[in-house]
Amino acid sequence: MALTRQVFASTRNPGPSRGLQFLRLADLALPEPVFRPLRAAGTWVALASMSQQRRASRDYLRAALGREPRLLDQFRHFFSLCESLMLKLRVANGTAHRLVLGPDSGDFGRWLKSGGPAFLGTLHVGNSDLTGFLLALQDRRRVHIVRHRVGNSEDTEALARRLGGLVRFIWVNDPGDLLFALKEACASGEAVALQCDRAEHSSRTETFDFLGAKRTFPITIYHLAFIFNRPVFLSVGVPGGPDVSVVHASPAFEPLAGEPRAAGLERARAHFQAFLARVESYLRAHPYDWFNFRPL
Amino acid sequence: MPDPLLPRLKQLIVETLRLEEVAPADIADNEPLIGGGLSLDSIDALELVVRMEREFGIKIASSEEARQALASVAALAAYIRERGDPARLPT
Repeated sequence: MALTRQVFASTRNPGPSRGLQFLRLADLALPEPVFRPLRAAGTWVALASMSQQRRASRDYLRAALGREPRLLDQFRHFFSLCESLMLKLRVANGTAHRLVLGPDSGDFGRWLKSGGPAFLGTLHVGNSDLTGFLLALQDRRRVHIVRHRVGNSEDTEALARRLGGLVRFIWVNDPGDLLFALKEACASGEAVALQCDRAEHSSRTETFDFLGAKRTFPITIYHLAFIFNRPVFLSVGVPGGPDVSVVHASPAFEPLAGEPRAAGLERARAHFQAFLARVESYLRAHPYDWFNFRPL
Repeated sequence: MPDPLLPRLKQLIVETLRLEEVAPADIADNEPLIGGGLSLDSIDALELVVRMEREFGIKIASSEEARQALASVAALAAYIRERGDPARLPT
């Protein structure tokens, strides 16, 4: 989570920056047996032309697979992101998609029913990008999503339009009042969702064991939890079938009244590390589902 | 006569941000709070703003106002004197 005000207009995720409208129309007009090979061809083009993302993919896959990745591994990694993007576009176009809770997500399920405020942390894994939107759509929860605007954020904005006022973005690299947008979102008593796997713009980071090495992750979400005295849930949404995503969520992390901050942060580290271990276990089995195309 | 709000604010800053190596008296009235010797970052600023709002019933509504209010302890005191709940201010 970033609290700086840099503009990253040139930064983008792998995927088309101006072709989303084309993809939407093609999806409506072309039968899937024709459209899917076209997407695969486009993925090869992306793989050939996006050197930074290709390098990040190779480094990640080397860690996740435990061997030197082949070009086909990298293609599968990029294509998996492409299919995740298509799912977002389809949901934005009205395709039904359900969220179900994994068996390990009891606290999260109780929170969903309670209607209370919370910080929701997620990572660029599987269908996690959709989770905040689907929570809003399915459970009618108002969610403020803190995001880094990249050159091709139209897919997420299209999703937000579908949800009317239920989803609001707080762009971390907008030149507006980020700090105060965040404060107002927290004061509203609604859920605030943040991605917790991009440390480069965060002022509070820690190192954790992840994919065989110490890696840096932002822990701003826990500092916000202490400031606003509300729980943190970490979750990822992963494919669970053609029209279903399964949410795997951490137990609640609760700030405790009177607890020294250092002790609270120690608990926070353990909470984050435990969730990362679960994510790592998932990624070892589904290595192409990691969509943070940044250096580890 | 010195404003009794100044030592109160310094105490709150040290307490809120858990500045273990800083004594309230070490903070100069006109020392910049953000980007100064205290090395506070934006999360510290947010925490400070939230604490001041709760403590004194003020409402800092924009980063421009925050920059003005957090310019120094003296500026913060002036901001709170102007907009805070008089019943919560030390006399």
